[in-house]
Amino acid sequence: MSGAADREAVFPTRQSLGLMKAKLKGAETGHSLLKRKSEALTKRFREITRRIDEAKRKMGRVMQIASLSLAEVTYAVGGNIGFQIQESARSARFRLRTKQENVSGVLLPAFESYLTEGNNDFAMTGLGKGGQQVQRCRETYARAVEALVELASLQTAFVILDEVIKVVNRRVNAIEHVIIPRTENTIKYINSELDELDREEFYRLKKVSVYPWKLRHAAHTAQVANKKQRDNAAMDAEMKAKREAKAALELENGAPEEVADATAGPTDLLAAEEDEDVIF
Amino acid sequence: MEGLLFNVNNGYIEGIVRGYRNGLLTGANYTNMTQCETIDDLKLQLGPAYGDFLASLPPNPSTSTLAAKTTDKLVAEFRYVRANAVGSLAKFMDYLTYGYMIDNVALLITGTLHERDTRELLDRCHPLGWFETMPVLCVATNIEELYNSVLIETPLAPYFKGSLSHQDLDELNIEIVRNTLYKNYLEDFYQFVNSHPDMAGTPTAEVMSEILEFEADRRAINITLNSFGTELSKADRKKLYPNFGLLYPEGTLMLSRADDFEGVRLAVEGVGDYKSFFEAAGLGGGVGGPGNMAGGSGSDGKTLEDMFYQKEMEISKGAFTRQFTFAIVYAWVKLREQEIRNITWIAECIAQNQKERIGNYISVF
Repeated sequence: MSGAADREAVFPTRQSLGLMKAKLKGAETGHSLLKRKSEALTKRFREITRRIDEAKRKMGRVMQIASLSLAEVTYAVGGNIGFQIQESARSARFRLRTKQENVSGVLLPAFESYLTEGNNDFAMTGLGKGGQQVQRCRETYARAVEALVELASLQTAFVILDEVIKVVNRRVNAIEHVIIPRTENTIKYINSELDELDREEFYRLKKVSVYPWKLRHAAHTAQVANKKQRDNAAMDAEMKAKREAKAALELENGAPEEVADATAGPTDLLAAEEDEDVIF
Repeated sequence: MEGLLFNVNNGYIEGIVRGYRNGLLTGANYTNMTQCETIDDLKLQLGPAYGDFLASLPPNPSTSTLAAKTTDKLVAEFRYVRANAVGSLAKFMDYLTYGYMIDNVALLITGTLHERDTRELLDRCHPLGWFETMPVLCVATNIEELYNSVLIETPLAPYFKGSLSHQDLDELNIEIVRNTLYKNYLEDFYQFVNSHPDMAGTPTAEVMSEILEFEADRRAINITLNSFGTELSKADRKKLYPNFGLLYPEGTLMLSRADDFEGVRLAVEGVGDYKSFFEAAGLGGGVGGPGNMAGGSGSDGKTLEDMFYQKEMEISKGAFTRQFTFAIVYAWVKLREQEIRNITWIAECIAQNQKERIGNYISVF
């Protein structure tokens, strides 16, 4: 048997063989399912990576435009209007909705941005001068935030997917390289043990059927000899039976004496019974 | 006649201010500045004009600190001139600061309305609009107290009186308060330069009337344009227009009825300058349209705002062609403010590496 460490600690019985076979089948099904899941996730992962790349480039452009428009506001208003803006903003105009997207059993959060209607808190900022620049700046920054939200949603998905893909791949590999070989080894071990038991049992049965026949045969010939050379014949038969038994015992590979002892008891008993039968 | 005794009291000031005017950056300076690659280069270019004020800046300062330092220089020079001014010139210069005071008071009112610690806000106030009782404004914790006991003591009290009550401060948008105050201020200033015995009939009244009329018109037009799409009603809007100016009264009446850019254009058609501005802006599609969705206005077309600034600078420049007038102080402050804006803009363009629009500054010298 190759390395007992590589199999599970089970008794080599038919029941556990059945269990192991079911387990192997389960492992194989699970393996193929997980493999497919991992492939689906990886596909999605690649797509997200590509979109993150795009979104980052877009964000760079948008942020540049936005900060320039802020500079324009500073130029037109001629001062710092940050405080006024902060104070006149009362409720959020740009809001987020979060959804969950299911990609082969993984829940990815998706952020969706929308503008609330009729919410124009600092519409009158810069009424005297620079109002248009302020509004334009707000629009450009709203677009910038939109890009940021998109990027945030992608990045979150990226991180989550990365982790899940790692876990799934670890499972796939564990099943492929540890669980399946071990189960197979166990099945092999159980099979070989069962085979050996079978052989042993077969031989034992054979032995049980062969031994009494020999004895009967010998006794019969002795009776037929008309008891003339009873002593001699009996001696002869006994010797012969003993020789036969010894030879038969020697056929077995195992320790001859022990087996001989073990088999001697029952064979004697049987022999006695058979003898009586025969005499009857 | 007015020149006979002008120099007795104000000759020194006039000399100083004309000297300051010569220190303003010229077109050649601006051309050099636009060639700069970094803010440090820009700082170097500004060396002759702003050397001692920029010396304390760390390498590669942010544009806002640069703007703050250049403003510091203006404030220092203004305070020097103000300290040496006597008589009606001193009063005139006080009037000049009221515009900044309005902004500061509006800021503090906003802070009080939102129950902020107004002491923090004192740092954000424009230094030119500083007045002695301003820190007292921070004592007020609610708007009624602010109105009844504190605002009354400020130089702006007359502008509140009659047009705004303390209930208004609660309900009205702070922008409306600010613009109402500004309207009253402009009207008062206009009245002042045209009626004060030292100024009526002198070049001061002439030049200042031109400047203030332009300012009034500009505010009226801007308020109209900026109020489209907001909840400001036409009647309320009309109350914010100053009651003088080239557009007053027909133009402002038409402005108050305007619904869109086209309506404003029709309203100002009576004044040649504004008509040409609107034609240029209308062609450029910069202002009044739904806004350039690609972000920012077009790089070539000047916006209406730019043209107004240009016009203001030209009037201010023209003020220096007159002798014996207080208006040069006003003109100098305005020119310096524009210079600070230009520097900030150029610095911003350099910092953000957006060289294609760096030429949007306004230079009149």
